[in-house]
Amino acid sequence: MAPRSGVGTRLLNVGPLALVWAFAAWPIVLWLLHASDPELAVAVAQHTGAAAWFAAWSLALVGIVACLVFPPALAFVRRGTARMWTSLTMDQAPLVKALGELRHFETASRHAEVGRLFRLRRQHGQALLHFARAVELDPTIASAWHQFGLVLFAQHEWRAAATACANAEQLDPGHAFGDALLHHGRARFLLGDSGAVDVLREHARRHGGGPRSQLWLAEALVATGDPDGARTALQAAAAPPAVRLSAEENWFRALARVRLWGKGGSA
Amino acid sequence: MRDVLREVDDIPVTLTVVIAYVTLAFVTGMFAGDEQFGERLAEFGWLVPMAVADGEPWRLLAHAFLHGGPLHLAFNLMTLWTIGPALERSLGSVRFAALYATAAIGGALAVCLIYDPRQPVVGGSGALFGMMGAAVAMNMRSGRHVFAFLDFEGPRRLLGTIAVNLVLGFAIPFVSNTAHIGGLVTGFAVTFLWLRAGTPSAALRQWRLATAALFVSVLAWSVWPVTRSDWLHRAAERAESAQQARSLLEAARRATPRDNRLELGRPGR
Repeated sequence: MAPRSGVGTRLLNVGPLALVWAFAAWPIVLWLLHASDPELAVAVAQHTGAAAWFAAWSLALVGIVACLVFPPALAFVRRGTARMWTSLTMDQAPLVKALGELRHFETASRHAEVGRLFRLRRQHGQALLHFARAVELDPTIASAWHQFGLVLFAQHEWRAAATACANAEQLDPGHAFGDALLHHGRARFLLGDSGAVDVLREHARRHGGGPRSQLWLAEALVATGDPDGARTALQAAAAPPAVRLSAEENWFRALARVRLWGKGGSA
Repeated sequence: MRDVLREVDDIPVTLTVVIAYVTLAFVTGMFAGDEQFGERLAEFGWLVPMAVADGEPWRLLAHAFLHGGPLHLAFNLMTLWTIGPALERSLGSVRFAALYATAAIGGALAVCLIYDPRQPVVGGSGALFGMMGAAVAMNMRSGRHVFAFLDFEGPRRLLGTIAVNLVLGFAIPFVSNTAHIGGLVTGFAVTFLWLRAGTPSAALRQWRLATAALFVSVLAWSVWPVTRSDWLHRAAERAESAQQARSLLEAARRATPRDNRLELGRPGR
């Protein structure tokens, strides 16, 4: 299965490298222009320099204004920064140790641990292989099914993700503070299954329902034709939190606030 | 070949560079109060972007062994003697020499790109900043994650030293901080991307290729800066036809900064 990644992740991976290549190629462009018309080369160099400065300042200004005016922008920046910081400060030692152990003793729990560490690094292709082997060796480990489901979810394999998360929930009800149940519900919603509402309601009832849970419940309710229930769920998702939310949960709260504006409600 | 490299790896590069600094200081007449000191610096290879573009690319490296005065020499000797031996022991002499040369050229390229093309620059500080950048990169590479080194006092002080030196570079008008930053970035990138053991990953190979292409491209641009006024003027002098010369002169006029154009236009001053 080919690993999938979002547009943002792909841009982050390819963007800086493309920029370096563009800078490397720029003199060649100017030499070619100079060979045909020296004045044109000078004009292009000057205008491009001015345009680059203008674009950089405009981008900075737009970014600042977006952060001030449009609430998800700030939450988006916070989530991006948190993800970047997590990836930069990821400890290499546990993965090296776990891979070393796995080389000597192959067990389901070791495969699950290696898979978990690969998933944290967003190396979903590698993680999938280890989770598949882990559940093959021992299909009774709830955490392996749950993590397997999360990786499949990230790969947009909704049906397989729903099954894996359902298995985790069945083996250990309330596994990972309800995360398996939540992703089970969401995957079923993305498959167009109307039963997703019940699963997401169950999650909200049993685990309190944070902004993400409530937002996903609201989307499922809209799909089943219950706008009032959806508005209530959105209001719950957008409500000011009692404690500081994580960057990920804060992003879902910001999305809920924007959706509420569209529906004429307020958070 | 491996045996030869092993033999070369025993050469004490830091000591060799120190000897080169001091010898060139005497040869250029730094301590003799010689009136010809400036001319000798020019002759021995101070970095003037205009001269580099005029067929003297060896100045990109040569300037890193010359110094503008006893204080300048003393500061650079002290820094080299503080960082050099430890870094050389870690990297090996051949890699250390390659790092010194690349960082010196990197600093010079930054000067050629950004600085006034007529302004001369001397000193090994670009290369020394490159060594500091290399030390930071080595620390980042050796920890459990790239910022793990911040838990330790020594590497934190190294960052502080770099910051203080950069601030001083901005504060003192005759210091070329452009060369410092160019050297720092080059030294860091060379060590982070190139000077590491083990089989490189596909992503690392891509980055190595891209940065090498950028380095070569900027190097070639410093020698043929086809949109810079001084190079266009020289090209016009060498033009084969009157029409080509006119076109190059017009391009040179366009490329000349507006303030300079007015100054050149005043007759008799």
